[in-house]
Amino acid sequence: MSSPDDLSVIGRRQPRLDGFDKVSGRSVFTDDIVLPGMLHGRILRSPHSRARIVSIDTSRALALPGVKAVVTNADAPDLLFSDQQPLLAQGFVHYVGEEVAAVAATDPLVAEAALDLIHVEYEVLPAITSLRKAMQPGAPRLHEWAPGNVALTHEKDFGDPDAAFAASDLVITDEFRSPVQHNTLAELHVALADFTNPAKLHMWTPTQGAPMYQMALARAFGLETSQVRIVYGNVGGAFTGRGRAKPHHFIAALLSRHAAKPVKIKATGDEEFIMFRGSGETQYRFRTGVTRDGRIRALEADVSFDAGAHAEWAMILWLPAPYLNWLYKVDAVRYRGRFIYTNTVPKGSHHGGIFGRLSAGWMQHLNHVAEELGMDPAEFHRKNAIEAGHHALDGSDFASCGLKECIDKVVERSGWKDKYGKLPPYRGIGIGIGAQASGGKNAANDTSAAMLRVADDGIVTLYTGIPDMGQGSHTVMGMIAAEVLGVEPEDIRIVGGDSDITPFDWGAFSQRGTFTTGNAVKAAAQDARGQLADTIAPLLGVAPADLEFAHRRVWVRGEAPDAPSRSFSFREAIGKAFNGVEGRSVMGRGFFNSPRPSGSLAYSFGAQVAEVEVDPESGAVKVLKVTAAHDIGRALNPLAVEGQLDGQVFSGMSQVLYEECRMDGGQILNPSRLEYKLPRTYELPEVEYILVETIDPYGPFGAKEVGEGPIVVTMAAVANAVANAVGEMLPQIPMTPWRLLRVIRYRKKRAAVSGP
Amino acid sequence: MLLPEHDFIKPRSLAEGLAVLRDAPPGVRLLGGGTDVVFNMRCRLMTPDTVLSLRDIPELQGVDVLPDGSLRLGAATRLTDLVADPVLRERYPALVKAFRAVASRHVRNMATLGGNLCLDTRCWFTNQTKEWRDAKGPCLKTGKDVCHAIQGSPICVALNNADSPPALIAVDATVTLASHRGERTLPLRDFYREDGIRHTVLEPDEVLTEVTIPPTRDRLVFLKETARQGMDFSYGTIAIRADGNGARATRLHIVLGSLTTAPRDLSTAGERLVALGLGDDGIDAACATIRDALGPLTNLYSPAAYKRELARTLLRKAIVELREMPA
Amino acid sequence: MKKGFITLTVNGDAHEVAVSSRHTLLDVLRGKLQLMGTKEGCTTGSCGVCTVNNARGEAVLSCLTPALEWDGQAVTTIEGLEKNGQLAPIQQAFIDYHAVQCGFCTPGVIMSAQAVLNLTPTPGEDDINDGLAGVICRCTGHIKVKEAIRHAGDYVAGRKA
Ligand SMILES: Cc1cc2nc3c(=O)[nH]c(=O)nc-3n(C[C@H](O)[C@H](O)[C@H](O)COP(=O)(O)OP(=O)(O)OC[C@H]3O[C@@H](n4cnc5c(N)ncnc54)[C@H](O)[C@@H]3O)c2cc1C
Ligand code: FES
Ligand code: FES
Repeated sequence: MSSPDDLSVIGRRQPRLDGFDKVSGRSVFTDDIVLPGMLHGRILRSPHSRARIVSIDTSRALALPGVKAVVTNADAPDLLFSDQQPLLAQGFVHYVGEEVAAVAATDPLVAEAALDLIHVEYEVLPAITSLRKAMQPGAPRLHEWAPGNVALTHEKDFGDPDAAFAASDLVITDEFRSPVQHNTLAELHVALADFTNPAKLHMWTPTQGAPMYQMALARAFGLETSQVRIVYGNVGGAFTGRGRAKPHHFIAALLSRHAAKPVKIKATGDEEFIMFRGSGETQYRFRTGVTRDGRIRALEADVSFDAGAHAEWAMILWLPAPYLNWLYKVDAVRYRGRFIYTNTVPKGSHHGGIFGRLSAGWMQHLNHVAEELGMDPAEFHRKNAIEAGHHALDGSDFASCGLKECIDKVVERSGWKDKYGKLPPYRGIGIGIGAQASGGKNAANDTSAAMLRVADDGIVTLYTGIPDMGQGSHTVMGMIAAEVLGVEPEDIRIVGGDSDITPFDWGAFSQRGTFTTGNAVKAAAQDARGQLADTIAPLLGVAPADLEFAHRRVWVRGEAPDAPSRSFSFREAIGKAFNGVEGRSVMGRGFFNSPRPSGSLAYSFGAQVAEVEVDPESGAVKVLKVTAAHDIGRALNPLAVEGQLDGQVFSGMSQVLYEECRMDGGQILNPSRLEYKLPRTYELPEVEYILVETIDPYGPFGAKEVGEGPIVVTMAAVANAVANAVGEMLPQIPMTPWRLLRVIRYRKKRAAVSGP
Repeated sequence: MLLPEHDFIKPRSLAEGLAVLRDAPPGVRLLGGGTDVVFNMRCRLMTPDTVLSLRDIPELQGVDVLPDGSLRLGAATRLTDLVADPVLRERYPALVKAFRAVASRHVRNMATLGGNLCLDTRCWFTNQTKEWRDAKGPCLKTGKDVCHAIQGSPICVALNNADSPPALIAVDATVTLASHRGERTLPLRDFYREDGIRHTVLEPDEVLTEVTIPPTRDRLVFLKETARQGMDFSYGTIAIRADGNGARATRLHIVLGSLTTAPRDLSTAGERLVALGLGDDGIDAACATIRDALGPLTNLYSPAAYKRELARTLLRKAIVELREMPA
Repeated sequence: MKKGFITLTVNGDAHEVAVSSRHTLLDVLRGKLQLMGTKEGCTTGSCGVCTVNNARGEAVLSCLTPALEWDGQAVTTIEGLEKNGQLAPIQQAFIDYHAVQCGFCTPGVIMSAQAVLNLTPTPGEDDINDGLAGVICRCTGHIKVKEAIRHAGDYVAGRKA
């Protein structure tokens, strides 16, 4: 076996293996699929934040020629979407956009017309549509079972926080808020269901992972998991927005069963915003205790999340607790979190999970702490930063950790020391740091499996269930297989995205793709190579372990790769195996699951410095430059790593500066890509990438993750840079022109009163 | 959200088009580039019986220099063609800047001058899908006696969000409106009304055929403040035209866009600047008039307080740019 | 007319297509001609994934224009860039510079990029920014897209020159 540093494929700037299809318009996305007899489905949604359904009359819709099915709760009263939630509204609606009825028709025109013909009579009830109102003492109760509208709480102490705060020389508290934000996926939500055979539900849809969809749909429709097939060839982005099956998936299946025809449901541009499961309003209170010389003793975060009308995504409530332990060496950590019901669409998460928005506040708070101490924030982070070998209070172990090196690198490359505190007015510089788990194990079956077969022409087909939502996982899996087998990435054909064909893979969550699936693919390739070596070694008169595989050749270690009669081309070798007496068809298999009962085996780390300019007259912010240093383990494909960094810098600055669902009661005022702002070409900064490659002992070839680590850090760095430019911690994102102008004016007034 | 059914007509001459309008108003919707009409039809804000495309009418095309030195811009000329026009580029760089400020290049490759000048007013309680509006309940524009933007407002306060009107008003452009009844020409300033529903004086059977810009040697500045460059409606725009040079001017025409229902002239501010010059004192004095000149503002798309502040900022920046322009 | 046949030339092939006044150009390309390369996104002009090129090689939004308006006209879609099995330079540059991630926006982004190159083979920063601001690439933030456009001139028909 080649030593880890003697790599021929890993580490290359490898263009995407699916590039040709994607640039030429050949790539098939769900909406591009048209099945014979396919119907078009549409969903009728609640116009009210809270109401009693007095009656529903679907007769006129059913009578419209071309309408093949109309469903309401009466057709599927027991079909649950989640624990307490019927799929279609039962008696009451609890938020604007809630699914009330659905139609399937032969033509989109007819489906649209049919929606208009469904008559629903509502009795409107008082609603609570904001987090603040839901948390007010004496607020009306949204659900019987939830006093104070608290859906769930999570409380966790690590160490003795009270003692640690008491022993601190300085304790600082800050508050922060983040708004409702939407994932704005490139490919709008779409599902195509074929449930014409009651024993098999086929569903084409973009997803982050098939198993959760299979399990949810199977449970809802009384099927076994294997009776549900999810097909997800190309996925137009996910940004944490495609983790779980959403109501439209179930409704497409229901309509298909009723109409006995395949049914496609595709969200319209504004519907996407109404049905979304992005992040909800969130309020944070951070408290930190430090010693006079700048050592952090105690960290505390108290977070209230708007859950929406149902608590669907409880995981985001738990995640901050461990996260608070991953960056600094501290005596104690305290987390208090609660999920609050409101009459709004159930919430999930936006790009960066909970960590990005948390960081935009928490890192400003820590910056504030450093400044109170009279310390340079970069120095403050560095002084407290963990190192490899650290054992955290939450039980996490960090076998590799390049956090300090990341801080040093960004400080150096950004010219931090010459700039921090020395920039002209309204120019700002900010630093942020962060960590991310490379696959957080949240379920026992957090497994990835892989298979591959080698054809006698030397072409390898790799079967993997990890979806490629753009992050480039398929290409990296191909590179891993190629590296192990000693072939080129172009020799690998990827078959992915069909749960009937591909082996189990939990999916692209918690940055587990490279780490977990990568280890599975590596194992499968090693299995195949072992089989090949067993067959070939005797022909060369050596032991299997003496063979080297690389550059499409197999040879005896220590000799020349092309030594006559001591080596084969890969193709010759596989031909010998296949056409030999044994007739071996080489097929490898492998799987990986973390040996830990929970948590992660490896963590990525990063530090970024952002520089911004604020126009004090208009409040507009320009991000000038982002310097990003990340310890992602080994960069398996630096080209794709850069792409991940770009995308996260973009998305991170977007969330801090632009993105906000502006709410009017329970309605979104800006449900469009025009009014829900994301920056475009002109707004993008220069990005400098620095890869700090710690080689992780558990990751495939030492890799960790780059899927969501960077955005968490970007959000912190940009938030701090803007705060630095205006001279004040900013308690709310996005930092829009009007919010900044208000701060700037207030500071000018205060300065005028108190004198220079 | 497919388009509502309609009769699509594409006349080959102005006369043919005017005849259609004579016989079929008010259910006819003129289509320039369609970049706003198609959007509004998808949302069922417009459900015309007939759509009349202006794209193949030769009389409405092109940029011409008239004998007196005026420029005539055909109403169906695409914004992209105006941006590329050599005469406009040479004589009116600030006008070209305003045309180029509209939406994205993709939209400008389709959008016409007439469509931009006649662009319907916008409001985020109204410019939504039908389902959205039904959930909120109708408003003045969609059939009820309620304004969601300003409680109790008797008129629709939707915004005129088009980018080219302020600059064209500042250069005293006129527009020609034609119908089977004849033609009339009026200053673009008088084309707009302070009513979000009937926001122009265009009659249902009329077509805006051309814009005429009288010759001038005055300075012209245009600024747009927006969330995203290269693809966004404005938070606010300003156009200022002035004679003289440096900090001196005897005539100033200041027009603010996107903050109100019709482009707003800042005549008092102009007078202050003429009196005090374009120095910082003049600017401060002019800015002090803004609150009164703007009156009550909406929170549509951005908060009213920000809009007011932005008006001052635009004024200050535009005057600074103007006085620093090379003579 | 409310319904009828239009003649539309797509990628050099003339088609007689039955359309109604309810259809946009995008509906014709995807729904009638099954040219699925052009994507449907917002359908209201703000995302750009439906971008095609008109006869002058300019980027236009097929979702924002009635199909009937295109009678007798010609358009180029993503499927029309490849010539004799060779990718166009801009397509190859997109692969090599990693300007593609999920690929959903890619047809629209490439048609926008091609339109920029149709105007000038050596576009400046502002040409690129202005030409691409009308499309969203959620994955790349356009950073590598811009790089690919800057380098498209280095290619001839799918090969680096
Ligand atoms: C994503 C997006 C972003 C946008 N951003 C901007 C922006 O930043 N700034 C801006 O100003 N606009 C913007 N717009 C709105 C619109 O695209 C432009 O205003 C454009 O100039 C409209 O021109 P058009 O020819 O496409 O108009 P159309 O949609 O064809 O028509 C608009 C209106 O004008 C009427 N009309 C058209 N031509 C005539 C005529 N000759 N005589 C009488 N009436 C006529 C139509 O009946 C209709 O009421 C944006 C639109 C979109 C979709
Ligand atoms: S589909 Fe979004 S602009 Fe056309
Ligand atoms: S590649 Fe995914 S949106 Fe552009």
